[in-house]
Amino acid sequence: MDKVVVFVETKGDEPRKASMELLCEAAKLAESGKFSAEAICFGVLSDALKGRLLSCTHKLVRFTDPELAAYSPEGYARALAGYAAETGARMIIAGATGIGRDFLPRVAVILGTGMVSDVTGANWFDDPMTFVRPMFGGKVFAEVAFPASPVVVTARPNSFAMDMPQGINGEYEERAAGSLAGAIHTRLVRIEEAKGDTVDLTEADLIVAGGRGLKAAENFKLIEDLAAAMGATVGATRSVVDAKWRDQADQIGKSGKTVSPKLYIGAGISGAIHHIMGMDTSKVVLAINRDPNAIIFNYANYGIAGDLFEVLPAMTEEIRKRKERG
Amino acid sequence: MNILVLVKQVPDPEALVEIAASGRDLNIEPKFSINLFDEFALEEALRIKEKHGGKVKVISLGGPKTIEALRTAIAMGADEAVLIEDEAFAASDGYNTALVLSKALEKEVFDVILTGRQAIDADRGEVPQMIAQFLGLPHVGVVVKLDISDGKATAESSLEGAKEIIEVGLPAVFTAQKGLNEPRVPLITGVMKAMKVQIPKVSVEDLGLTRDMAVPESSKTRIVRYLPPKKRPAVQLIPGEPREAAAEAVRLLADVERVI
Amino acid sequence: MDFAFTEEQQFFKRIITDTVDRMVVPKAREIDEKDEFPWELWKDFTKLGYLGLRYPEEIGGMNADPVTAMIFYEQIARGSVGFAQSVIMNILMGTYFVYRFGSQAIKERCLYPAMRGEKVATMCFTEDQSGSDLSATRTTAVKDGNEWVINGTKMWITNGPVADFATVLATTDLSLGAKGLNFFLVEKGTPGFSPGQVLDKLGCRGTITGELVFDNVRIPEENLLGAELNKGIEYLGEILDEVRVMTGAMAMGIAQAAYDEGLEYARKRIAFGKPIGSYQLIRAKFADMATEMEASRLLIYSAAWKMKEKLPSRIEAAMAKMFATETCCKVVDEVTRIWGANAFANEYNPQRHFRDARFLLYGGGTHEILKDFMGRLLIGK
Repeated sequence: MDKVVVFVETKGDEPRKASMELLCEAAKLAESGKFSAEAICFGVLSDALKGRLLSCTHKLVRFTDPELAAYSPEGYARALAGYAAETGARMIIAGATGIGRDFLPRVAVILGTGMVSDVTGANWFDDPMTFVRPMFGGKVFAEVAFPASPVVVTARPNSFAMDMPQGINGEYEERAAGSLAGAIHTRLVRIEEAKGDTVDLTEADLIVAGGRGLKAAENFKLIEDLAAAMGATVGATRSVVDAKWRDQADQIGKSGKTVSPKLYIGAGISGAIHHIMGMDTSKVVLAINRDPNAIIFNYANYGIAGDLFEVLPAMTEEIRKRKERG
Repeated sequence: MNILVLVKQVPDPEALVEIAASGRDLNIEPKFSINLFDEFALEEALRIKEKHGGKVKVISLGGPKTIEALRTAIAMGADEAVLIEDEAFAASDGYNTALVLSKALEKEVFDVILTGRQAIDADRGEVPQMIAQFLGLPHVGVVVKLDISDGKATAESSLEGAKEIIEVGLPAVFTAQKGLNEPRVPLITGVMKAMKVQIPKVSVEDLGLTRDMAVPESSKTRIVRYLPPKKRPAVQLIPGEPREAAAEAVRLLADVERVI
Repeated sequence: MDFAFTEEQQFFKRIITDTVDRMVVPKAREIDEKDEFPWELWKDFTKLGYLGLRYPEEIGGMNADPVTAMIFYEQIARGSVGFAQSVIMNILMGTYFVYRFGSQAIKERCLYPAMRGEKVATMCFTEDQSGSDLSATRTTAVKDGNEWVINGTKMWITNGPVADFATVLATTDLSLGAKGLNFFLVEKGTPGFSPGQVLDKLGCRGTITGELVFDNVRIPEENLLGAELNKGIEYLGEILDEVRVMTGAMAMGIAQAAYDEGLEYARKRIAFGKPIGSYQLIRAKFADMATEMEASRLLIYSAAWKMKEKLPSRIEAAMAKMFATETCCKVVDEVTRIWGANAFANEYNPQRHFRDARFLLYGGGTHEILKDFMGRLLIGK
């Protein structure tokens, strides 16, 4: 049986969504009978989190080395690669988070194998295994075959389903990787949390933009609330900027900023070509406009022909509820 | 200070990229430039040199056209450049790319290796870390600020939005992120120098490797075919009262499209 | 025949295209809207050293050959015509005769600072009644002791009002017509030399175009820019071809800027459910534009190549100028048709290219004059 090792990344007392998706994927592979699945984590683990993870994996191994309490590429790579080598892992998978993408390549080299990063799809049962990943900023996707072993993969968040098989009751083990002190040459001095100023429009993954349909400057609060609930950046159309409801820096469009987020929500925006030219490469577009014939619907994946004054707050509430539910 | 910069020549961000009929190749508009993130790395190297003295050497793996990217680096102010010319390795996966670059770096004396966090064509973000591992060096990724002093460096890494302040001894590998600096525009004197300079080429055999190590059949991973992204279908209007439609929209975005 | 640019020229083109994209293109709109000399951009850009493009390395120039120069002119015009005209004036017309005939003292006072962007240069030929017909020049230069006294009014002078020094075309003898013409250097601050009316122009906004008045302006002997007296027209011939081909290159810059706008619109604008670029009539426009631009560029760069090889290029330069500028006017027209009503809005760029292109029809020689001149050369007197 081939062994899958999932690296579980935690943030505070929560597992990262990307890690959870991979635990689901690994659990489903284990169900097939062709694979066994294990999870690895480093650092502190509360009882609550431990309990939760043990319902998602058949075996959870926590490395207790104090050197692994904080992230270091060399430390994490050594520990994970060491475990994979020792236990003969066939696949090592992690979320393509900042940390995951940073240290998994080192794991691959330690194990003398290659890697495939930021995959959006996997064919685990193919021989050789194949993966799908974006290139050229998503303009093209590549199907990559991985004949080497072990297979080292990072997966893009939101690529795999979160449908955990029921009835898993995993075994828990603690270990020490050992001899890490001399192997780690970087020292984390301190962490400065993001000040709460959001990502710049041109780099944002999530954007909520408002247009003239909002009727007054104060109504932009509806946009801001939705953006805050989603962790999105706020954008605006040229007419709104000209009316001085918003700053020039918020303007999306031909003479403003060109954006390319994963998700663009445009409310009260008719879809003037000027604006379209600034956002039409967005991956998913949701348009909200009272007029069912608004041009923006030509450039959207989803549309709500309705009253944004009711739709926006409803969406904000729905998202907040979901976040609470976890 | 000896600063080494690794750059890749990539298609322009606006170049047309289309999948060939066979699905196994790409037709790319032949407009090239230095990978954006490598520009930040090169600019940082030049600033370090301006502050601490020393030399900036630029290395690239590519085909014959890659000379232009190296010329651009010289125009900006790099002291030396060298091209590892091998199209098989240049088209190969992260592992092979890192392998050949590491072999070249083994022969060099350096305090700092700077390169971009990823190339905008392959979007892998693997090679710098692999090189660090091959060479037994520490690395700091996604750097937005870098201070060098006395054989050590303090870097600000923005892996996940938050800023991590990290100290590391030199030599070390750093990958540049947008926001690290604003790359300079070359002066005409730099352009003139770059137009005339002879840039040496090195083959993979010179580095103790062979071309067939990089052919797809011998590589750890290989691209089998290319697939187009999903075209935006005609708009799906979500029906119902505002509250219903809102809830359904959130469901679609979260569970189906998985963008939130 | 090798039609390709050399590796060096290709590299230069890459660099200047990128430089223009980063520094000039983002400012083009503002330059046009404000119609003021863009001092900040001028300072930043001239620091790079391109104003020395055509002059020898020994004096801090780049010694660029005509082909390389055309590459530069095309790209800078693509960025912003308003800015390009100022840059090119300092690179060529405004400084050439100073370089060619000025004393060392004059070069140090005028040429070298102009090459560094510290001084703005201009060339004064046109008058109210004389454009194509230089023999109708009425600005006079009268020798008085060891000074020349200049009197007259020049019109349509690029950056006249802000220039630090001017190369002025004046006649020593009204009865000699073109054979009495000479170039004189007049520097700002010389008593009697003052800017007059500033013109509010349709296009090329950002260069300050206006009148210059010469009222008993006294300049020293050495300010005659010429080895011999009354050879002005002959000396002008030295740069005539380059000015003509350069105008063609600028035309291609404007055409390219417009063409790129047309391309984006054709790809993104949806009508009847599809991008308009899927329709044959729109596709045909691009086929025509691209073909004529390619033809224009071949004329421009082969004329420049002949200049570089010191082969005769008079008629080729005129051909390049005429064909490229006519092509540009067609391209900007087609692009405004592709953009439809949106071309009418000042918030978008096609209208600026449309306005800017008009100067090409007379700058560097009107087409009517050029055709007459070319016909005469071809048929014989």
